Amino acid sequence: MTIVTRLGMGALALTFATAALPAWAQTKIEFFFPVPVEGKLAREMTRLVKLYNESQKEVEVTAVYTGGYDDTKLKAQAAAKAGKPPSVVLMSANFNVDLKLSGDIISLEPMLKADETTRDDYLKDFWPALHANAMVDGELYGVPFHNSTPLLYYNVEHFKEVGLDPAKPPRTWAELVDAAKKLTKGDRYGFLMPAGYDYLGWLMEALSMSNGGRYFNEEYGGEVYYDQPSMLGAARFVEDLIFKHKVMPQGVTEAGGVSTSFFAGKASMVLLSTGSLSFIRENMKQPYDVAFVPMNVRNAVPIGGASLVMFAGQSEESKKAGWKFIKWLTTPETLGGWSRFTGYFAPRKSSYDKPEMKDFIAKNPDAKVALDQLPYAKPWFATYQTVAVRKALEDEIQAMMNGKKKADQAVKDAQKKADELMRPYVEQTSLKLP
Amino acid sequence: MIRVRKHLSVALLAALLSAVAFLWATPFLWTLVASFRPESAGSADMASLLPDLHPTLENFRNALESGTFGIYYVNTIIVVTGVLAVQCVTVSLAGYAFARLRFPGRDFLFYAFLLQLMLVPPALIVPNLRTVVDLGLYDTLPGVMAPYFASAFGTFLMRQTFLALPRDFEEAAAIDGAPWWAIIWYVLLPMAKPGLVAFAIVSITAHWNEFLWPLMVINSPGNQTLTIGLASFAMGAEGGKEWGVLAAGTLLVMAPLAVAFVAFQRRFVDSFVFSGVKG
Repeated sequence: MTIVTRLGMGALALTFATAALPAWAQTKIEFFFPVPVEGKLAREMTRLVKLYNESQKEVEVTAVYTGGYDDTKLKAQAAAKAGKPPSVVLMSANFNVDLKLSGDIISLEPMLKADETTRDDYLKDFWPALHANAMVDGELYGVPFHNSTPLLYYNVEHFKEVGLDPAKPPRTWAELVDAAKKLTKGDRYGFLMPAGYDYLGWLMEALSMSNGGRYFNEEYGGEVYYDQPSMLGAARFVEDLIFKHKVMPQGVTEAGGVSTSFFAGKASMVLLSTGSLSFIRENMKQPYDVAFVPMNVRNAVPIGGASLVMFAGQSEESKKAGWKFIKWLTTPETLGGWSRFTGYFAPRKSSYDKPEMKDFIAKNPDAKVALDQLPYAKPWFATYQTVAVRKALEDEIQAMMNGKKKADQAVKDAQKKADELMRPYVEQTSLKLP
Repeated sequence: MIRVRKHLSVALLAALLSAVAFLWATPFLWTLVASFRPESAGSADMASLLPDLHPTLENFRNALESGTFGIYYVNTIIVVTGVLAVQCVTVSLAGYAFARLRFPGRDFLFYAFLLQLMLVPPALIVPNLRTVVDLGLYDTLPGVMAPYFASAFGTFLMRQTFLALPRDFEEAAAIDGAPWWAIIWYVLLPMAKPGLVAFAIVSITAHWNEFLWPLMVINSPGNQTLTIGLASFAMGAEGGKEWGVLAAGTLLVMAPLAVAFVAFQRRFVDSFVFSGVKG
C-alpha cells in the first residue's frame, strides 16, 4: 500500500467516524408538509423546523415541502408503499378516515398511554368541534394543527353606497339575497363563492348545514346525504343566486379569482375560508368586514384545515421522535404564533389565553368574528374515498352553475355516483350480514 | 391595380397573422407585465395587459427569497442533461436495432415497445418508486432520472430517422471494413442529427417542466428541482393568489428555456423541417 492510499483510507475512516457520531445520538425523521395558502408559509414552516432542530439534540427533522394537500397525500402514500414512510405528515384533516381504512396511518393511543395521559385529557384543550375529525373509530389518529371555517367577507364601502348598514351584515339567506340584489351593479356582482375542487364541496357542506343538514354520517364512513332536502335546498339556493336573482356570475370561479374580484371591487360579498384572513387583511385596500355564514335553518359551518398524522411502517425509535416533534409543534405558543402568521385559528383554547394572542385579537376584530363562529362549527366530511365522493357532488354542482343541469337532477346524480363509490365499503360493513 | 390588390392581400395576411400571434402570446405578455407590477394581488388592474408606470422588482425578490433558486437551477440542469445524455445512447442504439438488424420477433417487439406510450405516467408512480428505493436511489437526482433512461418515443423517432437514410453509405463503410459501432458513430449518427436534435428538444422541455415525479422521489431541500420551487407559489389552496410573485416565479422557471429557444431558433426549425430526410 502506498502512503497516499493509506492516507486516503485514513481520511475515509475518519469521515465515516465523524459522520457516524451524531447518528447514535440522534433520530432522523421526515416531516411532509403542504403549503395551504402561499409561498411564505413554506418559509415560516422551514424556520419553525429549524428552530426545533436547534432546540434539542435527540431528533433531527427534515422538513419536506410536498405541494398541495392532494399531492401530499399521494406522495406520502407512494413513499409508504415503497418502504420509505414519512414519520409525520401535515394532512388535510378530512383524509384521516380514508388513510386509516387503507392502513397508512397509525393510532396515536399508544403515545398517549406512554405519556400517561388519556385521550379525554389530551383533547380537553382542543376546541370540541375538532374532536370528530381527529378521531377515527373512537381512537385518536390526528392532532389538529391549523383550522378554519368558511366566513362571509363584505366590502364596507359598497354597503354604504347602496344604503345598507355595514354594522348589520346579512344573517339569513333571505337577507343575503336582498343585500346581494342591491349590491349587484354593472359589472359588479353582489355575491361570489369559490367553486373549484375541494373548496366547493366544503362550501356546499356549509350551506347544507346552515340549512339544517349534516352532509355525511359523522359516525359511519359509508353514507352521505346529497339528495336530502338540506342539500337540495342548498343547491337550489346557489342555482337561484346565479339564474333567478342574477347576483352571482354563471360558471366556476376558483378561489384565487374570488379573492382577486373582492380586492378589485368586482364582488361585494364573498364566502372564503378564515384561513384567508391574513391574506385579505394584507391586500384589501377598501374597508371590509366579516360575518358568520348566513343561515336558512340554523347557524352551522364545517371545520377545515389540517392535522398532524403519523405513518405506519416506521421504527419504534422514529415513532417516539415523531411524537416528540408533534408535541413541540402543537404547544399553545407555537400554534398561536402560526395562527397569527396565517390567519387560521389555533386549535387549542389555551393559545388564546396568551398575552400576544389577546393583543392580536384586540387589534384585529375580524379574527374575533372567526373565533365567535367556532361554537357553531361541525366536523368536516370524511368518508370512505373522501376525495372521489366529494368530487361526485362537486362535478354535479359545477354542471349546475354552468347552466347544464337543474339542481334537483344534480343532487340526485351526485347521490347515485357517491353511493356507487362507497359500495365496496358498505358491502364490507353495513350490508355484511350474518 | 393588380399590384395594389397584391399589396392589400399581403397587408391583410400580415394583420391576420399578427392578430393570431398576439392571441397566442397573451399569457406570456400578461406574465411579463404582471411580474413587474407592484402589489398586484390587490390592485384592480391585475388582469390588465398594460404595463404599470412604476415597474418594480419586488415580485422577483419575493420569489427568489421563497426558495434556494440557485440550487434548483443546478439540479434541474443536472437532471435534464443527465437524462438526455443517457437517452441519446439508448434511443440511437435501440433505433438502429429496430431499423437495421434482423432478428426474430423484431416487429412484435417494436410494437410492444411502442405500447409504453399508452401508459399514463401516474399509474407507474408506486412501482417505479419501489424500484428506485430498491436501487438505493431514493431522494437522489439519479432516482429522478432513472425511469426516463429508455424512451419509447425517442426509439420510434430514431428508428424512423434511420429507416429514411439510404443504405448505400453503410454498405460503403462496411466494404471498407468498418465495424457496426463505427458505422453508427461515423456514418449514421451524423446524418441522423436533425432527428436527435428534434428529440432533444422534446426531452428537455418535458423534463424541465416535470413536477409530479421529482416531487415523489425528492425529499431533501438540496435536491429539489425548479418546478417544486415554483409550486410553492402556485399551490395556494385556501388563500388568494399573489399574482405578481406567481408571475415572477413562472418567469424565473421558464426563462432559461425561452432564452435557449430564441437563441437556437433557426437550428430547431431546421431540425424539425429536415428531420431525417436528405439523401
